[in-house]
Amino acid sequence: MSRPLHTQVEQAVTADGRVVETSSDDYGHARTLGVDHDWFKRAVFYEVLVRAFADSNRDGTGDLRGLTEKLDYIKWLGVDCLWLPPFYDSPLRDGGYDIRDFRTVLPEFGTVDDFVVLLDEAHKRGIRVITDLVMNHTSDSHVWFEESRRNPDGPYGDFYVWSDDDTRYSDARIIFVDTEQSNWTYDPVRGQFFWHRFFSHQPDLNYDNPAVTDAMIDVLRFWLDIGIDGFRLDAVPYLFEREGTNCENLPETHAFLKRCRKVMEDEYPGRVLLAEANQWPADVVEYYGDPEVGGDECQMAFHFPLMPRIFMAVRRENRFPISEILAQTPPIPSGCQWGIFLRNHDELTLEMVSDEERDYMYTEYAKDPRMKANIGIRRRLAPLLDNDRNQLELFTALLLSLPGSPVLYYGDEIGMGDNIWAGDRDGVRSPMQWTPDRNAGFSASDPGRLYLPIIMDALYGYQAVNVEAQLNSTTSLLHWNRRMIEIRKRHHAFGLGEYRELGGTNPTVLAYMRTHGDDPATSDTVLCVNNMSRFPQPVELDLSAWQGGVPHELTGGVQFPAIGELPYLLTLPGHGFYWFAITPAGLDQKP
Amino acid sequence: MSFVEELVPHLPEWLGRQRWFGAKGREVSAVDVMSATSLTDTEPLLDLLVLAVSFADGGPAQHYQLLLGRRQEAPGELEHVTIGRVDGLCAYDALWDHTASAWLLEAVRAGRTIGPVRFVPEAGATLAPPGFGRVMGAEQSNTSVVFGERTIMKLFRRLNPGVNPDLELHRALRSVGSNEVAALQGAVEGALGGEPTTLAMLQDFAGNSADGWAMALASVRDLFAEADLRADEVGGDFAGEAARIGETVAVVHAELAAALGTVERDPAELAAACSARLDAAARDAPILLPYVDAVRAAYDAVAGLPEPILAHRVHGDLHLGQLLRTTHGWLILDFEGEPSAPLRERSRPDSPMRDIAAMLRSFDYAAFFQLLSSDPGAFADDRTGSSPLRWHAKEWAARNRDAFCDGYAARAGLDPRRHRPVLRAFELDKAVYEVVYETRSRPGWVPIPLSSIKQLTAGATSGSAAG
Repeated sequence: MSRPLHTQVEQAVTADGRVVETSSDDYGHARTLGVDHDWFKRAVFYEVLVRAFADSNRDGTGDLRGLTEKLDYIKWLGVDCLWLPPFYDSPLRDGGYDIRDFRTVLPEFGTVDDFVVLLDEAHKRGIRVITDLVMNHTSDSHVWFEESRRNPDGPYGDFYVWSDDDTRYSDARIIFVDTEQSNWTYDPVRGQFFWHRFFSHQPDLNYDNPAVTDAMIDVLRFWLDIGIDGFRLDAVPYLFEREGTNCENLPETHAFLKRCRKVMEDEYPGRVLLAEANQWPADVVEYYGDPEVGGDECQMAFHFPLMPRIFMAVRRENRFPISEILAQTPPIPSGCQWGIFLRNHDELTLEMVSDEERDYMYTEYAKDPRMKANIGIRRRLAPLLDNDRNQLELFTALLLSLPGSPVLYYGDEIGMGDNIWAGDRDGVRSPMQWTPDRNAGFSASDPGRLYLPIIMDALYGYQAVNVEAQLNSTTSLLHWNRRMIEIRKRHHAFGLGEYRELGGTNPTVLAYMRTHGDDPATSDTVLCVNNMSRFPQPVELDLSAWQGGVPHELTGGVQFPAIGELPYLLTLPGHGFYWFAITPAGLDQKP
Repeated sequence: MSFVEELVPHLPEWLGRQRWFGAKGREVSAVDVMSATSLTDTEPLLDLLVLAVSFADGGPAQHYQLLLGRRQEAPGELEHVTIGRVDGLCAYDALWDHTASAWLLEAVRAGRTIGPVRFVPEAGATLAPPGFGRVMGAEQSNTSVVFGERTIMKLFRRLNPGVNPDLELHRALRSVGSNEVAALQGAVEGALGGEPTTLAMLQDFAGNSADGWAMALASVRDLFAEADLRADEVGGDFAGEAARIGETVAVVHAELAAALGTVERDPAELAAACSARLDAAARDAPILLPYVDAVRAAYDAVAGLPEPILAHRVHGDLHLGQLLRTTHGWLILDFEGEPSAPLRERSRPDSPMRDIAAMLRSFDYAAFFQLLSSDPGAFADDRTGSSPLRWHAKEWAARNRDAFCDGYAARAGLDPRRHRPVLRAFELDKAVYEVVYETRSRPGWVPIPLSSIKQLTAGATSGSAAG
């Protein structure tokens, strides 16, 4: 069966101008996993671009069926939840974040039926799936917007934010400073300006219109009925506009999120909302909602400033960039969890560092100006770290042990490279490298048809860096990553535990204790010690609160000397790290 | 006083083993208990003793405080601080006794007065919740106990009559709401020779912190490991922190001036004091002799300044080790002043340039300490100037001295580099002191201050890049 590419799926419109929305009853429903209110706290997430992972129909573009075929690999790696950036029908002027139809799959990725199969097969393997949902805006080719332009008095006339001039909400900043001059754009069809916080082809929905909030909640229900495990809500701070404010994080936005969460709790318990709010943690915690009830908005939110500060700490060879940002991170409600990451499909975001720090990050990590985009750096993890295995391991150990659920980015588990010559943010979106064969095993198409070229350079090219070769070598980065994920999952302190930084006299060493549970017989305590420096370092840690406990190193199981009254002395190789489980005094299992 | 009489014979040997005992190697002729204040009447029995230690060499007596605990049997964790059996009980240094440390915290909270000993909380003090404290690393002159990661109590072992400048200045800084020091929360005060005397002080504990010396050395090492990168290009660049330190010092200076006022001092008098120290130093460390004339010329330049020198209370013993990097910025510690100077001198207003010069010296020390650790022959005469590490050390010191001055100037509105004669004289005064100190205790380090004296007296050096 051949499908037309990049053509809009026709949507019927009734005589009174209403769009006929498809119903979830028109599709099969995937099997669901049992209700578990904590799964996302223990889970390892894996962000995969459908386009980039595997091509099942030789058209040069990855698709849902291709991804379904690779689920065994994802299961083997130890991933608990897939995060798929948008796969909805879209003109693709913003990587699919410009949605043309919320209830249709982008034809080149497949169909809603294909998605049902993916979801069912994933659930069969115990893997959950969440996807991006762009709440704030649609594509300007969405039928709602077309109706809104054409018929200001029709049912969609008030679906977007229209104005006779471009002067309202002047306190709102312009986010895409590289391309946009204003948050208003004139529409010659309607003869008015429309409001957009992002690109001018992405008009913002008007959340003051109850018909819009109802329509968007029905979009949630559509995918939840099919069986999806949650949503990452894209660009969530911008839903409402109010004069005299910066139009971010308004109370009305929080009220709407509470309503979304209530629908999920009542009708689809155990499914999650993840907020994408690129803000300071003290502001982001608002998106968890009321701490008195354990949180009643999103269960998860990304911790954006942590990531650049991990890079900065290692570069500066001192722990304070990380210590500072975690000290400034307020506690979160009991039912909530941070999402943390080293890299994702966007550039390394530098909005959350000060100007001085931003200049510094540019200088250190983006030596070529093409590596800079908007306010960030577009590089994958391995090239950012000069392909240094020690640093790759240290960074991953931090990702897997700092407070929050880790989100891996596809390809980073094998140390894939990037292509800084690709446009926009495509440099980090090249095809997954499966084998040393044609098209890296990603697609059987004619190489010229690939949506982006395979990485070919000598260091990161697919003949050197691919899944097949790394599966065959137990010392590979891939096997190392899998082992670390497995260790993380053996200790619930990583996902559920409290975080307590231990300080220590050596500023280049970041040490912290993760503890879960109060009962010594069942509690889990993990000590993590990380050397931010490239040189060997000693550190003396005050572990007197755990006096008598016995540390067991987690990768090898070796028992270390018991914790005594004096400071605990450890020595670490350059960029080295340790994970220890602490067996409380009296519980050591001597023969 | 029978237990005291029984205790005295144990003390000379026990004192000699204590790290904070300041007269190691001198023969003790007598230890007298000048006062004993009984704090509790149930076990553990606590007594606060003030000891007078006399010496066979006839030097002046030294005074120490001892918080003595007594129990029927000392539990195992107190074995290492046991002094001996007196009056049928086991006597020990009570700071390690959990019951005793918890008692101390509550005594401060309650504001108790027992005999001459007063436990004084600051107005509106926030202290750790009730609980025992843990003894942290013992320092040379005091011992610190941390309560619940919230409060640190610093007990001064060696006592000098009078209010300790550390307490006095922290109290003044608290009165102006300083954020640049660990907030004072309370004190223990007693009497010595009829004068009110500081026994201990309680402050907020800065958890998860590292001292500036350790951080500076990490930066120097990072630079040393680079073959061709400059100090401003390496990841471990410290200039941002050095500038923030400069800002912090400037803010504390303004706070001290605001809280305790400013005076004017006669440049000739300051120069004369430097000159007197120079003469004494040259006697103790003849290696200084070739530089005496040039150094004195620098002091004479200050003496001839037409304007009086602005002065207020200063830190007096500032260096990177007295700075603490916390997750919220830098804190300045230990306002005791130069410990070897008499209390009266330490309490006099001095030029803020004194602290600035001391910090500039400290940046030099960090760079050249790491240089000597990495390359012990770096100062050998035949290699002068040729070692790439030595070049890096100079580069690091110059960059961070400048950054520190930039930060200070940004906050103070006064660039220390524009007061070159005073800055240079105080740097020399400090370096001369360092030469004497190193000659006595670490002869291998003498080249660090000596090379700075060479540079500072060479005439052509700039105040900002003396390294």
